[in-house]
Amino acid sequence: MSLLYDEGQLAIASESRRVLEARIDVAALLPLLEQQGAFHQGWWDTAREQGWCGIAIPEAYGGLGLSLIELGIVAHQIGRSIAGAAFLTGSFGVARAILDHGSAALKDEWLPQLASGDLIGAVAFAEGQAVIPAKSAVAFADGRLTGTKPAVPGGAHAGLAVVLASDAGTPVLVLAALDGVGRRLFNTFDNARSTADLTFDATSASVLARGPAALDAALHVLALQAVITAHEQTGGAEALMEKARDYALTRRAFGQVIGAFQSVKHRIAELYGLVELARAGALHAATREGHDDFLRAAAAARIQATEAYDTAARDCMQVHGGIGVTWESGLHLHMRRTRTLANEQGNLLFWEDILVDQLEGVAA
Amino acid sequence: MTPIEAYSAAAHAWLTSVAPIYGSAARKGLSEADDLALGRRYLKARYEAGYGGINWSRQFGGQGLSHIEKIAFETEEMKFGFPTAYFGISLGMPIPVLMKFCNDQDFVRERVFKALTGAEIWCQLFSEPAGGSDLAGLRLRAEVDGNGWKLNGQKLWTSWAQHSDYGVIVARTDPTVPKHKGLTYFWVDMRAPGVEVRPVRLAGGDSHVNEVFFDDVRVEDSQRMSPVGGGFAVAMATLMIERYVATDSAGFGPHLDLFTSLAREAQVNGRPAIRDGRVRSAIARNYAMRNGLDAITARAMLMMQAGMEPGPEGSLNKLVSVRSRQKLSEMAIDLMGTDGVAFDPHASVKADWSTSWLNAPTGRIAGGADEMLLNTIAERILGLPQDYRPDKGVPFNAIPA
Repeated sequence: MSLLYDEGQLAIASESRRVLEARIDVAALLPLLEQQGAFHQGWWDTAREQGWCGIAIPEAYGGLGLSLIELGIVAHQIGRSIAGAAFLTGSFGVARAILDHGSAALKDEWLPQLASGDLIGAVAFAEGQAVIPAKSAVAFADGRLTGTKPAVPGGAHAGLAVVLASDAGTPVLVLAALDGVGRRLFNTFDNARSTADLTFDATSASVLARGPAALDAALHVLALQAVITAHEQTGGAEALMEKARDYALTRRAFGQVIGAFQSVKHRIAELYGLVELARAGALHAATREGHDDFLRAAAAARIQATEAYDTAARDCMQVHGGIGVTWESGLHLHMRRTRTLANEQGNLLFWEDILVDQLEGVAA
Repeated sequence: MTPIEAYSAAAHAWLTSVAPIYGSAARKGLSEADDLALGRRYLKARYEAGYGGINWSRQFGGQGLSHIEKIAFETEEMKFGFPTAYFGISLGMPIPVLMKFCNDQDFVRERVFKALTGAEIWCQLFSEPAGGSDLAGLRLRAEVDGNGWKLNGQKLWTSWAQHSDYGVIVARTDPTVPKHKGLTYFWVDMRAPGVEVRPVRLAGGDSHVNEVFFDDVRVEDSQRMSPVGGGFAVAMATLMIERYVATDSAGFGPHLDLFTSLAREAQVNGRPAIRDGRVRSAIARNYAMRNGLDAITARAMLMMQAGMEPGPEGSLNKLVSVRSRQKLSEMAIDLMGTDGVAFDPHASVKADWSTSWLNAPTGRIAGGADEMLLNTIAERILGLPQDYRPDKGVPFNAIPA
């Protein structure tokens, strides 16, 4: 696992960028903001056709058997395009939970469907402020789940979920098919993520882990997903930095392009710094999977990428002036995406605490 | 173990073996004169151990290795607090420039040997009261004097001039052409008549920089290292040499571990400070940022080992790390409460928060102010336009003062 991309990885980057830029434009994304549960079908068709759903799933289960690095490369390009629903990250999280904790039968049943994209996976841990609730409000008893997981990313279309529930006070990590599960769609500021409340009513589920191991497993799934999301955030930040630069090179005021004013050019130079720090942090984390320092690398990547994307959205809109706040400019698509990505799989507060716990040497 | 890891391990072993003689503990309480003498002995030992001029050609007494070994050695060396600061400029810029631009090979070989073994020190006489960030705005004059030159004027911020035997200098030889075109590059003997060095005390209390006055200082034409009027290009070549130096994501201040330890010991509202959200956030953000810088550095090393040119993102290190060190040092002093105001003027910038804090502004200015670094990123990497420059293309002596 190297910090230097090899030729195959560079090819994945250029090909995924090419295909996304050819097929996705802002005009197609804007209407999705006003429809609950809608997502960019062309993006998902592309993801399936290109094999992105199975990148990090072993070949034995129909995947490509590659690593976090390659999935991160694709996520970076998806971040640039702002096209993604939460499916790729969700399916990856579910697949990893099954791979790490599921029986052979569960692997055979579900992994090929996740790898092909026939089935969408969702990770349902968080409840309100609790990212990994030790005492979930969703009850598990006699192989059945009951209760509601709020605001599950991709929940509107997922067919399978990993759920953190509570069995008479003991945390359990379970796998549940979502046929017949109640899905309440509600308006979010980024509707294309297909977020939904999932309500279980005696839904059949299989135990993946129990007790403290369930909490550890949940954290590990989030850390893996966090590395992918950090790449997606970095891609978004990079796209915004370039948009700000391009606009500053063409927009004229007071007799010169605005990029000649230091207040503007330094703002964009600072974005360059944030993007490069986020890029390096995300890639570093992807190379650390399986090592003792993976959790801290993932947390650091997530923090740096969140800061980069948040700042890039603020400053790119500022550089654009009035045109940047119009509906048509589409910059608000990125702005909306910054906070959904910051919120999914644990926000900054959560990852800062995880990271400091790690640095303190306290078990998380 | 890769060859470069083996090289680092061997260097580490040697450095560890001499640390008791030259390291930070051995330096405690020494006067500057004694510390400098210790530094000269360390350089001699380093040279004899085969770690002098690591990436310089054997022809000049170097080791003939690449900048990869050089950075690997410096990265290890940095951990021990040896008295190398006096020689940093000397070996970092003037000597490499001398090797590249001076024609008298015997003279160069002797100077290189003496500089590598700590016997001689060189300084770099670039900045002036009227020319720091705007280097080409310098005013010190070199006028034709028979078959040589005569220097008159003043330099400022010259590091270690008070200990220097020689210096390299950029002077204005033609004030009637635009500013970049009227400069010429020389070496000078710092003991020559008419050279006067006056130390400038900095905010932290130390005096490693100087004012240097030149009053009719005679320089031979053989001391000229650029074509007449071609001095700016040689000065810029100096900056290219600086591309490959060891970096420190702590901004040459204390390691984050020291802050985390302090946060464990200190109390806020009766609880360990490390339980305070503000402190936790500072630790997490700093760790994440330094982690990014370290990954950039590690990737650059891999690129160099693969024979590739590292990306321009390496230029972020100084900009980002020193700023964050400044703020973290402020918070560290806060965490110490009433103990935070106590000050040890001899403490190390790597080990003491007050010293780190007092010297941080120097770090944000010396070797390229934050604003200049941002300009460079914006212009060279992102292709944004240069600032409005009213002096562009104007003869130097016609620029409004």
